[in-house]
Amino acid sequence: MSRAAEPMNSGAGIYFDGVTSARRDVLVELAPTNLQISGRDGHSWGQWPYDEIEELTAPDSILRLGRRGSATLERLEIRDPAFAAEIDARAAHVDRTGAGQRRERMRVIAWTVVATASLLLVAWFGVPAIAGRLTPLLPATVELKLGNAVNMQIRSMLDSRNAGAAFECGIAAAELRGRAALDKLVRRLEEAAALPLPLRTNVVRRDEANALALPGGQVYVFQGLIAKADNADEVAGVIAHEIGHVAHRDGTKAVLEGGGLSFLFGMLLGDFVGGGAVVFAAKSVLQSSYTREAETAADAYATDLMNKAGGDARGLAAMLDKIGGAPEPGMKILLDHPETKARVVAIRKAAAAVSPRPFLDAGEWAALKSICAGS
Amino acid sequence: MTGLEAGGIATGGAVRFLGQRRFYWRLLIRGAVLLMVTLGIYRFWLVSDIRRFLWANTEIAGETLEYTGTALELLLGFLVAIAILIPIYAGFFLAALDLGLLAKLSGVLAFAVLGLLGQYAIYRARRYRLTRTVYRGLRLHQEGSAWGFAFRAMLWWIATALSFGLAYPFQLASLERYKMRNTFYGDLRGRFEASGFALLFRGLPMWALLLAPFGLAIRGFLGVDWQALADAVAQGGDDVMSKIEGGNPGLGAAIVFAMLMTATSIALAAILYPAFQAMILRWWCSGLRFGDIVVHSTLRTRHVYGAYARFVGYAILFSIVMGIIGAFSLGVTDTAVSEKFDSANQIAATLGLLVGYVVAALGFSTIYRATVLLSLWQLGMESLQLSGLSALETVKARGRPSSALGEGLADALNVGSY
Repeated sequence: MSRAAEPMNSGAGIYFDGVTSARRDVLVELAPTNLQISGRDGHSWGQWPYDEIEELTAPDSILRLGRRGSATLERLEIRDPAFAAEIDARAAHVDRTGAGQRRERMRVIAWTVVATASLLLVAWFGVPAIAGRLTPLLPATVELKLGNAVNMQIRSMLDSRNAGAAFECGIAAAELRGRAALDKLVRRLEEAAALPLPLRTNVVRRDEANALALPGGQVYVFQGLIAKADNADEVAGVIAHEIGHVAHRDGTKAVLEGGGLSFLFGMLLGDFVGGGAVVFAAKSVLQSSYTREAETAADAYATDLMNKAGGDARGLAAMLDKIGGAPEPGMKILLDHPETKARVVAIRKAAAAVSPRPFLDAGEWAALKSICAGS
Repeated sequence: MTGLEAGGIATGGAVRFLGQRRFYWRLLIRGAVLLMVTLGIYRFWLVSDIRRFLWANTEIAGETLEYTGTALELLLGFLVAIAILIPIYAGFFLAALDLGLLAKLSGVLAFAVLGLLGQYAIYRARRYRLTRTVYRGLRLHQEGSAWGFAFRAMLWWIATALSFGLAYPFQLASLERYKMRNTFYGDLRGRFEASGFALLFRGLPMWALLLAPFGLAIRGFLGVDWQALADAVAQGGDDVMSKIEGGNPGLGAAIVFAMLMTATSIALAAILYPAFQAMILRWWCSGLRFGDIVVHSTLRTRHVYGAYARFVGYAILFSIVMGIIGAFSLGVTDTAVSEKFDSANQIAATLGLLVGYVVAALGFSTIYRATVLLSLWQLGMESLQLSGLSALETVKARGRPSSALGEGLADALNVGSY
């Protein structure tokens, strides 16, 4: 197929009419405003206006054309590169250089980056805001059920002891006096706090100096914290801090936030390879940022509550100072925050100056210290 | 061009793959980078690009396939799928909270419902892909009930599990018959004629080789005194393990033996996997029919091993490069951090690890796609022998494009494919 250098106004093509699979050799003629397709026998297969012609995917050696708005999948294929270039020059939507495709891809990239940014913004601001609004609306019964479900999970995570000793202290005969001392301490705090739901406080066999509150009023104080405490006010301060979490329904809020983040990152993003790690990291970072505010609020609540109950609010500060200075390995729910110093200062400042009334006498304090002694 | 002029019909060896590996590598690497930048949202565009490349470069009897699907369709299908899945997930979450009988059942129920939905999605996604495949100006399409397929598939999976895999060939054959008899090119109906028995006989030696170590391991346990063991466990105490050991001197040896046998089995499975894949692919291709068109595959097992060898080669190269980069950046941070190791540095280190992990995962998956998956496509296509191609001249258009919901569901449930 050798032609002169002058513009080609006609060339060979292969045409499929979109009605049958028959393959037809056709003559393609380039008229001023449209492209005319006719068979060897002179039968006309159609006239395609240049602005209705679109380029379809094909191997590099073939220019495959379709017609926009056509009711069928009719196709015209040009295999002569020179003639393909002639059509390219005339049809606005045919673009063999790939510039249009590149532009399209840049637009996609720009939009997905914007979408990612907006997703992160929703995760940073939206999720805690929604969880915060939603939490007060949840009825107490739902919170209790949620607490039970979380409790089962947390217990199976924390209860790593061998067979023999129970997970909770204060059950064996030698521990009953310690349990009574704990009850006395908690009762005084609970009376001052006037919570809408009953508190359940247990000391559990874990070596870390820590404590945590679950949705629905379950508070776990770790054995390691009792061991580190030098007086009842320090234990009471930590429990008051956890009561703050219960009063603010932080546990429930955290569950809602966790669910929201799992949904945002896990489901919307889907699972591309390696995405699981990104989702996990994003969740961890965001959740620890959420809890920061909650911790400060619980500190303020604890100080307030200790003042109200006539205890020494500086106990919590002393305890934080102790465990913040020498962090235990492993779980760090209570002290998961770098600005322990700032918290200690804030608590000391807000503590009442009046002389505090002790929570326990010396005997009771000794009993509480040995609440995990029997087994 | 070859001798396939208009009207000329090839009657054998008529399938060619025209794509260039270099171009495919570029497409995949660019896609991997963009996946990372967009936290995975780019996958709809990447998958569409991949399909366009594979389809357009596959030439059957002188004409190439055309993929007409778009990324926006996939994105929309995914969003609709999410809207359907949210209430389902929320329901399971609430059921799990309820702590009653429902909570105990909710795990099983979730497994069954999501499994069923996954199979449903696979069938619907296949329908989407077929109706976006155009060949000689006509599209393919798929009829049949997706729920019917999903129930069949679930029952077959249970049978396969209960029979230690022996039912698998019959599962493949039965499900493939269902898919293919509902598959049309225009008005030309497909069917599937390979038999489960044929695959079973070919695969039986492999199956026996993989399960034999397990059989030996179980025989090792038969010598153990189970009654004494149960007593020792029931007694409890700190020294359960020593009591068990004392009562059963053979137990420790049996456990070690079982672990060795399991390792043997896993190693064998890894070595035999390419042969298994080649066997299935050859059997499957040779069973495909469209009207008078008969397909036969001459795929060579050693070519599939060649593809895996290339994957291993590239993967080792990639690991070495990653290792060097990792060691270098570790050295840099080490000297910078030695004075003070505060939380900011800790965060930076964690972030570095995370990026490294994601890069490694995406890298290996890209290499796998560019070597094994592309080769399987190319080898599978080029080893096809077609006869009865004159049927291609008289096919009439039929079928309409379907929605991308199936693709979206498959994506959200992680059962998607090409």
